[in-house]
Amino acid sequence: MKGKVITIHSSRGGTGKTVIATNLAATYANKGSNIALLDLDFRAPSLITVFSKGIRGPVKHWLNDFMNGQCTIDQALVNVSKEYNLKGRLLIGLANPAIEAIQSIMGKSRAWEVAAVKRLFSLRSTLFNDMNIDCCIFDTSPGIQYSSINAVISSDFSIIVTTLDSLDIKGVQKMLTEFYDAFEKRTVVLMNKVFPETRIWSNRRQEELVSQMEKALKRPIIGVIPCYCDVLQAKRSSILAIKKSDHPFLRNLQEVANKLEHI
Amino acid sequence: MAAGETATKKSPALDVNVLLKMLVDELIQVNKKLDLMIELDGKMLKMQEESLQRITDKSYRRKAIKPAPDAMTLLSLPSSLRKTVMALYKLKEATAEGISRETKRLRAVESASANQLVRMGYLKKKREGRKVYFYIE
Repeated sequence: MKGKVITIHSSRGGTGKTVIATNLAATYANKGSNIALLDLDFRAPSLITVFSKGIRGPVKHWLNDFMNGQCTIDQALVNVSKEYNLKGRLLIGLANPAIEAIQSIMGKSRAWEVAAVKRLFSLRSTLFNDMNIDCCIFDTSPGIQYSSINAVISSDFSIIVTTLDSLDIKGVQKMLTEFYDAFEKRTVVLMNKVFPETRIWSNRRQEELVSQMEKALKRPIIGVIPCYCDVLQAKRSSILAIKKSDHPFLRNLQEVANKLEHI
Repeated sequence: MAAGETATKKSPALDVNVLLKMLVDELIQVNKKLDLMIELDGKMLKMQEESLQRITDKSYRRKAIKPAPDAMTLLSLPSSLRKTVMALYKLKEATAEGISRETKRLRAVESASANQLVRMGYLKKKREGRKVYFYIE
């Protein structure tokens, strides 16, 4: 995990990418690691809402500014470690939620997208060498679009978050064969919001599900997280890894975090 | 006097011969000059053709230059070329040997692949001393 850039991706929206990305980042930071979490979903920014309680004052530089070459990556990162009382540093890069900023991103040229990939590749040297960051997590937009593809190709490996919904599964299958295979990127699949009955399933049934999914997706399943009503009902601005460290959702995510460290 | 008369009488005939000879010489000179002019004209035409060809080639090349490969373009490239571009995105600029270290493929393979991408207009290359560096503009 050290010195790695991880992309959290999905085929469709609503699979829980941001919840996973945020809590994974907070879990690592709670353990003392220095983490950078970047919101690369420029069309539907969400980290600004999730971290609203931890951001003091107006945001000086957005991640959009870094992508436009108007600031450096260290200027575009906000340190929220103190606000959330974390052992390690948690630096977040926020996408600008203003409608003008979203419109601007939608009208970017191919040349800008090339420069964007270059910037994403170049930020790792600043983060890992100059800023002493252990791991960088990209929270991306779903499906195949520039912001998500740019993130995937510039990262070391990807976690595809999927539910058991057949549309999600089919979407992931298509994405893996038509996109991930082409780039030969290391990819693992995280099953999220899995039917609640899996909590009372035997280990054997769980293993059967994982085996079925691994066969269908031809990628390792790094974890199966059941659907928890309180996670769905929780306010977006409450980060479980910071508030309720004994929640079963977090225990599952902790297992995922441990497995990731060995990739 | 008689001899002088004969001489004056013969001179017009001699003059005609001399004049004819001079005329023939002149015609030969004119012919040579015409040959030279035809030759020069041919050369001029050839130069014009070559110049036109160069202009056409330049505008063709200008049209053929493509922007650097973005993420979507990468998807449409053959996997062997895609791998080279991906390595260059990471390295910024590199020699064929540098690319081969990143991709773990043979230097010759990377050299062929990078040069193919240069011909396709996706990459640029520059020479620094004896080394040739490839990069994405």
